[in-house]
Amino acid sequence: MSALDLDLKHPLLLRSLKFVVVVVLLGALAQVMRPVEQSAWEAVQARRSELPLSQMEGALGQGVVFGVLGGFRTILADFTWIQLYLAWEKREAAELDALIRLVTTLNPDSVYFWVNGARMLAYDVPHWRMDDAGGVQILPDARQRGIAEEQAQQAFELLAQAREFHPNEPKLYLEVAQIYLNRLQDYANAAKWFRQAAEMPGAPYYAARTYAKLLRVQGLDQQAYDFLKQLHQELPDDDPYAQKNIVLERIRALEASLAIPEALRY
Amino acid sequence: MIDSLQRMRWIAANTFLEAVRQKFFNALLLLSVALVASSVFFQQFDFGSSELKFISDFGFGAVFFFGAILSIVLSTQLFFNELDNRTALTLLAKPIHKLEFLAGKFFGCYALMFCFTFALSLVLAGLLFWRETVLMGQLAEGFDGGRLIRYGDVFVFGFIQWIKFGVIAAMTLFVGSFAQTNLFTIVVSFFGLVICQLQYIARDAYLGMEAGAGRWLVQGLSWLFPNFQLFNIGDQLVYPVEESLALVTLGLIVAYGLVYSVAFVLLAQLNFRSREL
Repeated sequence: MSALDLDLKHPLLLRSLKFVVVVVLLGALAQVMRPVEQSAWEAVQARRSELPLSQMEGALGQGVVFGVLGGFRTILADFTWIQLYLAWEKREAAELDALIRLVTTLNPDSVYFWVNGARMLAYDVPHWRMDDAGGVQILPDARQRGIAEEQAQQAFELLAQAREFHPNEPKLYLEVAQIYLNRLQDYANAAKWFRQAAEMPGAPYYAARTYAKLLRVQGLDQQAYDFLKQLHQELPDDDPYAQKNIVLERIRALEASLAIPEALRY
Repeated sequence: MIDSLQRMRWIAANTFLEAVRQKFFNALLLLSVALVASSVFFQQFDFGSSELKFISDFGFGAVFFFGAILSIVLSTQLFFNELDNRTALTLLAKPIHKLEFLAGKFFGCYALMFCFTFALSLVLAGLLFWRETVLMGQLAEGFDGGRLIRYGDVFVFGFIQWIKFGVIAAMTLFVGSFAQTNLFTIVVSFFGLVICQLQYIARDAYLGMEAGAGRWLVQGLSWLFPNFQLFNIGDQLVYPVEESLALVTLGLIVAYGLVYSVAFVLLAQLNFRSREL
């Protein structure tokens, strides 16, 4: 009996027992607090951009995770952007791609990071890849076109992610349009995206004018004419940036090219 | 009961005074204030956010970062000072319950953390007010609807952080209640803090895992540690958002923090009552 007493009072046993009691109590507390935590967590999560650590693998071990979780997300995103420029200067395409994703994960609220990241992917990286493959003088046109399309696709995917955070930001739609226009010379898709951008609140006036111009480039003069007439009516008179006179000039030019009778002109 | 509260108040007041006199607290407070105040100069590294957003994020980061360090280090120092200097023996020889001693230590640290978060919130609010006033003068068209910043929210954020620091301090006391050294307590508490910060990942992970030992382990982890991401609500305060955080949610977060603070102090008592001093 006394031997049993001794065993039960063994410090190791007592410590183990305490440990079990603490674990059980904390587990029970977690269960009791679960409704409170769940309710608050859902409300907090619903309003916050998520921080998937899987996209931060490249930064693990550099103190980034702790800083990020501690509330320095914006600042760390800024410093990572500086690091990204170093990769850009050294033409490190893979590192650049990873850092763009890291920056936009850290601070998805900034449109600047999304737009400039997409520009690097769509405009700069194709040139690096072409240079690495022998240069534009040697590389066949089809291969050059293939690289441009691959990189444009990456930029489009990035901008699609950006639109999940900023569904009403016309700059993101304009960026897609500009890549279709300047990088891929795909006028039909460029026109489609310029039109979408133009229809958004806060869109710059040039989006609508460019849409009309692209319709003309595709030979759709009648559609361009109808669109510009409508646009001219909607533009404000007192805003110089609206450039109503330019729109009217283009309407006149279209009337001439479409040979619209004097009586039916705008 | 009243006597017990009185004794706790004395210990808390003494702990608070002792903490205020410590160089570590004063140095860290000065450093934090300087860092928040200097956020204006860090703006040259800012690319993506507006100036005011950058300053508030920077300030919120500083409140958490230095506050967490202060909670852990001061709670540890104040607790172990009593043990190492043998003053705990004198105190506990008097009719003072060990729980009163622990609660007094906790409230002393808590009061100190209140001063810390309030001071930093005040500096941050002042800085934001100054910069917003300057910007309003320069870019009047951007402030058609008046001021953008909800200054009360800066203090709401500070209050929520204070609640979190209470959990951290209580958790540190719990670790200290069975630890033998300062260093062990500080290191383990920092690990605990990191786990609590990352707890939500375990929580989200087990929901997507298949039933089995792995799922039980991850689920167990998420039960043992409080979720500190609940307190990271700086993004949803200060600036007008489409749907601001409801008062009920804030109340739930505060209740969550307070319950865990009390629970950790009680768990500390569980270890401390049988500890030989």
